[in-house]
Amino acid sequence: MAENSIVLGMADLMVVPAPIKLITLGLGSCIGLVVYDSFAKVAGMAHIMLPDSRGLSAAEKVGKFADTAVPALIEEMLKKGATRPRIKAKIAGGAQMFSLPGASAEFLTVGAKNVNETKKRLARMGIALIASDTGGNKGRTIEFSTSNWMLKVKTLGKGISEI
Amino acid sequence: MCDVASFNEQQLDAIREVGNIGTGNAATALSGLLSRMIHMDVPKTELVSIYELGGHYGDPMQVVGAVFVRSSGGFNCSLIFIQPEEDAQLMVELLLKQQFGTFIPYSEVPQDITDSALTEVGNIVLSSFLSSINMLLGTQYQISVPGVAHDMLSSILDVVASIYGQMGETALLVNTELKVEGLEEGRKISGHIILIPDPDALGILLRKLKVI
Repeated sequence: MAENSIVLGMADLMVVPAPIKLITLGLGSCIGLVVYDSFAKVAGMAHIMLPDSRGLSAAEKVGKFADTAVPALIEEMLKKGATRPRIKAKIAGGAQMFSLPGASAEFLTVGAKNVNETKKRLARMGIALIASDTGGNKGRTIEFSTSNWMLKVKTLGKGISEI
Repeated sequence: MCDVASFNEQQLDAIREVGNIGTGNAATALSGLLSRMIHMDVPKTELVSIYELGGHYGDPMQVVGAVFVRSSGGFNCSLIFIQPEEDAQLMVELLLKQQFGTFIPYSEVPQDITDSALTEVGNIVLSSFLSSINMLLGTQYQISVPGVAHDMLSSILDVVASIYGQMGETALLVNTELKVEGLEEGRKISGHIILIPDPDALGILLRKLKVI
């Protein structure tokens, strides 16, 4: 059965019932976080931009920061029928697009910080992270299939892998 | 820290003038390097939603070549020189032909050499930009070693989101398009120079320009 596709933009967060394909294009330092419950047949994705909301205003999109996106995504999953022990997570992204030897700028390494914070938040909520493709210096486009629960990761010059 | 959304026309115009002076100098440097005339568009000061950066400069999935530098000192900022990948390749071919006298297709040159050529062009263009704007502002500055990347436009522009995302949802960018003229029929080399002031340097910038 063909899956309809939904493309998530920056800071978007969404939970959908199968069969729908969730897509995020051109992740650089951002993270594509996928969570799913294959029994309840629901899956969610968030396009996380930064690690820590540092208590920023509530008006910001919850998907923007790892510390707000992870709890919001899990809560949404539970509302749609998932149960916490069955939820599994996969992540991709968190590259460092430019390395400038000798330059000290916090924002250049935001990719690695996004990865760490996302992993930490998942662990804190007791969600199993079963696959990841993170770091490096190349952008990624990701597609999550709710038919086989696989995350397809496309990297320029390296081709496609499935995790 | 300034809220970029509250900037008035006069302030945005003054910032645009900084872009004008920077790009003018950068275009002169590029022209000297390639021995070609350079057409320069009128710079724009743009307030862009950080959620829409990917699509703002074209197709988010378009492959681009980009050179990035960081400048610190009296006015902290980052600069990026971004070109469609084909344009960057053509520019490297043109440069190598001038250096060595013979044409060598891009695909036959090892990547460390093409990247080094691309980085050097970016470095010269962006250093010229920085030297003129710091002269205008009367500020001292240091420039980082340039970084180079070939990737999807939207992944490259994540760097802007990571600079502006922590303080809000809007980025202030000064963007100018350059085009190399006098190329063979059907060929094109264009590029954008984008100035990304640090959010906490915007106040300094406005004060230096006497529009605050």
